[in-house]
Amino acid sequence: MELFLQQLFNGIMFGSTYAIVALGLTLVMGILHIPNFAHGHLYMLGGYITYFFITNLGFGYWYSLLLSMVILGFVGVVMERIVFRPLTGQPPINAFIAAIGALIFLESLALVIWGPQGMRIPNPHPQIIKMFGITMEAQRLLVVGGAAVLIVLLHLFLKKTTTGTTIEAVAQNREGAMLTGINVNRVSSMTFFISSATAAVAASFLSPIFILSPAMGAVLGMKAFIIVILGGMGSVPGAILGGYFLGLIEALGGGYISAEYKDVFAFGALILVLSIKPTGLFGKQEG
Amino acid sequence: MKKLKHLSFILIAGLLALGLFSPNVYAKGHTVMIGFTGPLSGPAAQYGRDNVNGLEMGIQDINAAGGITVGGKNYKFALKTYDDHIDPTAAVNNARRLRSRDGARFIFNPVFNTIAPMMQINQQKGSEFLMMAYTSAPEVDAMKNPNTIAIPPPFSVYVGSYVKYALEKGWKKCAMVVTLGAYGDGWRKEFESAWIKAGGEIVADQPANYYTETDFSAQLSAALAKKPDFMLIGGPSATTGLVIEQARNLGFKGEFFMVDQAKLNYIAEVNFNNDLTKMNGVTGTARPRDLAEEEVIEPFLKRCLKDYGRSATSENLLNYGAIRILAAAMEKAGTVEDITAIKAAIPEVLPMDAKINLLPFIDLWGSRFILPGTIQKIENGQYTVPTTTFWWTKSDADFKKAVSSIPDIGNTNVNVPLEGYAK
Amino acid sequence: MFTKPIHTKLLLGFLFIAALFLPLYVPDSYMFQIVITSLLFAIATSSMNLILGYTGQASLAHGAFFGVGAYVVAIMTKAGWSFWIALPVSGLVATGIGFFIGLFAFRTRGHFFAIVTLCFGVILFQVAENWIEVTGGQNGIFGLDSATPIPFPFFGPIEFSSQPAQYYLVLAVLLLTLFVLHRVVYSIFGLTFMAIRNNEELADALGINTFATKMVSFAIANFIAAIAGGIYATILGAVSPSAISIMITFNFLIFLILGGMATLPGAVIGAFMIPIIMEFLQFMENYRMLFFGALLVVVIIWFPMGFFGGLKTINQKIIAWRQSNTSEDSNA
Repeated sequence: MELFLQQLFNGIMFGSTYAIVALGLTLVMGILHIPNFAHGHLYMLGGYITYFFITNLGFGYWYSLLLSMVILGFVGVVMERIVFRPLTGQPPINAFIAAIGALIFLESLALVIWGPQGMRIPNPHPQIIKMFGITMEAQRLLVVGGAAVLIVLLHLFLKKTTTGTTIEAVAQNREGAMLTGINVNRVSSMTFFISSATAAVAASFLSPIFILSPAMGAVLGMKAFIIVILGGMGSVPGAILGGYFLGLIEALGGGYISAEYKDVFAFGALILVLSIKPTGLFGKQEG
Repeated sequence: MKKLKHLSFILIAGLLALGLFSPNVYAKGHTVMIGFTGPLSGPAAQYGRDNVNGLEMGIQDINAAGGITVGGKNYKFALKTYDDHIDPTAAVNNARRLRSRDGARFIFNPVFNTIAPMMQINQQKGSEFLMMAYTSAPEVDAMKNPNTIAIPPPFSVYVGSYVKYALEKGWKKCAMVVTLGAYGDGWRKEFESAWIKAGGEIVADQPANYYTETDFSAQLSAALAKKPDFMLIGGPSATTGLVIEQARNLGFKGEFFMVDQAKLNYIAEVNFNNDLTKMNGVTGTARPRDLAEEEVIEPFLKRCLKDYGRSATSENLLNYGAIRILAAAMEKAGTVEDITAIKAAIPEVLPMDAKINLLPFIDLWGSRFILPGTIQKIENGQYTVPTTTFWWTKSDADFKKAVSSIPDIGNTNVNVPLEGYAK
Repeated sequence: MFTKPIHTKLLLGFLFIAALFLPLYVPDSYMFQIVITSLLFAIATSSMNLILGYTGQASLAHGAFFGVGAYVVAIMTKAGWSFWIALPVSGLVATGIGFFIGLFAFRTRGHFFAIVTLCFGVILFQVAENWIEVTGGQNGIFGLDSATPIPFPFFGPIEFSSQPAQYYLVLAVLLLTLFVLHRVVYSIFGLTFMAIRNNEELADALGINTFATKMVSFAIANFIAAIAGGIYATILGAVSPSAISIMITFNFLIFLILGGMATLPGAVIGAFMIPIIMEFLQFMENYRMLFFGALLVVVIIWFPMGFFGGLKTINQKIIAWRQSNTSEDSNA
């Protein structure tokens, strides 16, 4: 039972990260129809920016997190402007190639600036908490709680503010939104800003318990991509549920059945879901 | 916008042309070209760099000492490196390029997956090269390729010493959370069979991909639920450090054995900010400063820090040693081109003076250098006296002879003959 | 559509002769190696072109089928079978696996199809990594003999351990592949592929069995990809999980898109240009991948139809110029 609870907690912790990273990606994919495969690499860059403020400039953890959010947000805006906007109207596969180009660029950039050696952000909350027979690091609890808060804030933003509703309007009907006078380019920039900023939050949450390295974004990026498809492109609840689902299935499948084939369970489950519901859990129409 | 477009075109075309016509920097005349292909980007980039750094330092020292003299001519050494990001196709391309364009007859590579295809082409007439394989995988020796030299001791050496140590402690239950990969698979298999043969028990085997993952709580929780006495862990150093930290946070009190890829001093530095108390009860390969006499190793360690901003690793030391041995063997064989003669001359130049070659390379048997493997434990926040394992000596007399042939640096010496090697 | 202008014919003829005599003038074994691997990748990229370029289904498992071919050939030749039996078997195995995958994957479309095939690709990769008894795990299978020599009257057996023999083997398979693909694409059947690419609902409404048609395209593409993989195994003499990894798929994808999708020469051009550019960029060392990433973005923005698209534009200009010349002549 203790083992089960422990695995459950591990699954939720990872699910939280997956959920917020996938959330940022689903906005971009659903609203702009851009298969941004470089999203995981933005996450990596966010981690390094936070590292830079904490270690090189001696800022506090939370200040660095905020700064990292803003800076990475602008990186996202710039990326949209020079990489993806010129590709409007071309087949999505071209944007996919451009995204691969962008991710190669970002990874090499990190390699050139920070070198291949793993780097570590000092853990701001190293305390160990024991509850119900399971052990938790405080920082991991923060990841779970922080992710939940972020999800609620984003939801409120999308539903309750004018800016948020414009984003949703573009998602539902791009032409219609343009006719009502919405500046679609501005919405694109904004969506990229939000999407990158959430990636920076995820990276800042996780990097104190892990190690920063230029290649760290690749796997997470691919998983986020898969979650977005699983949840249904552009669906916010789909991304959240998909994230937690993947985290849990990895922890339980990996812990109980076979660690070697951990990813096989996750991907197998996805294949199964999509063959039953070909547009994802919350998908609306044919992709 | 239009201008920008044209400008970027000119820039790209110019750069490509530069690549096409970039002159060969090294004069062909009196240079011995050393080639390297390995991971210089991607998850294993640091490992690749560590190998290159060792070669670089070796070449600097050879050239600073005036190079080598063969047939009355003076030769200087030069190094050419290419990135293959562990892609076999790229490794073979690079090897071809190093051999036919750069004229390198000695090519280093640090990953078994790329060494294997390179060993397919290193005997082709007219383009032979000596495969300098930095890998502890014993498979290389089984291939019996005459143009290959494997540099580090086979990892089975450490398996033997760990089993011996665990038996002395009276432990029974072992859990393994080792990296996936050719190397990790080999370690797991080897350790499992050795430990079971010694009467022990493997209670959990939960391998994880140390290259792509950073959270091991799922594997660790499952392993710890079986209440092991000790754990075998390891892969790349930084992630191995995470495993130690996460296992301790999950309440594991037992000891750790690390596979030889993970380095004690690196983990202490990167993961724990040199707080050794967080690494109590961890045993791994000994840190470089305990591998040779202080007066010879200290300057080397300082140099690594100064030139590369990193503490020395065994990749530095072993590659450094290998290149110095090659240089000496060339002088002895009287050729810089005949790789068969150069390889044959290696046993004659070993062992070398510890001031030239820091590590005690003793001999070359088949395709494998003979040098002891050394393990070390951290206890009470301190490095303890290392244990040096002699794995190629069968009888006590051989063992004593081997011990006396290397400088005494105060380590404990043990004799753990290794099947298939000890003769 | 089927008759080409004279200067294109001349160019093709010249290329063919140049390819035939390449071993006589190739400068060194390094250049030769790059040509051989590029030809090999051209085979696999051309087959990806069939499923992606002509049928419009972004199969991201393509590299996995390449890997399946490599593993089947490695396992069979290691077990003592002749390479010439192992090679077609590898194609059949890949087709079989592809059929199974297709049953699930063709229920989805667009991005979803891409992701389902990506997942299958990752699963095959993990099987190769972990099924140690069969695949050798991460070490893979190494020390393979080169392709079984063909006994040949008068000349004695043809051995495949030398670069020229490997070159002609790959060249022959590439030409055969292009011939087959040409016949398929310009057949009635090929037109149904393109009908599905252009508008699947419409094709369906016209009575085309879209599921079966897509499956046939998938099967042909996978068969050829596996053949390419099988040859890769025998040329390299070692197969490890990197031969089946997602990076292989991405490489083919980059070759195809930058070369020019849905054109037969585009795939070949891409498979040649990109590796050669990568080799030229070696001098940039640490900055090489940085530059390559930027280059990808720049090229895709300015040549959305790939290199071959760019060439086509030039070609059309030449045709226009020739036509204006002839019309001027006739006027005169």
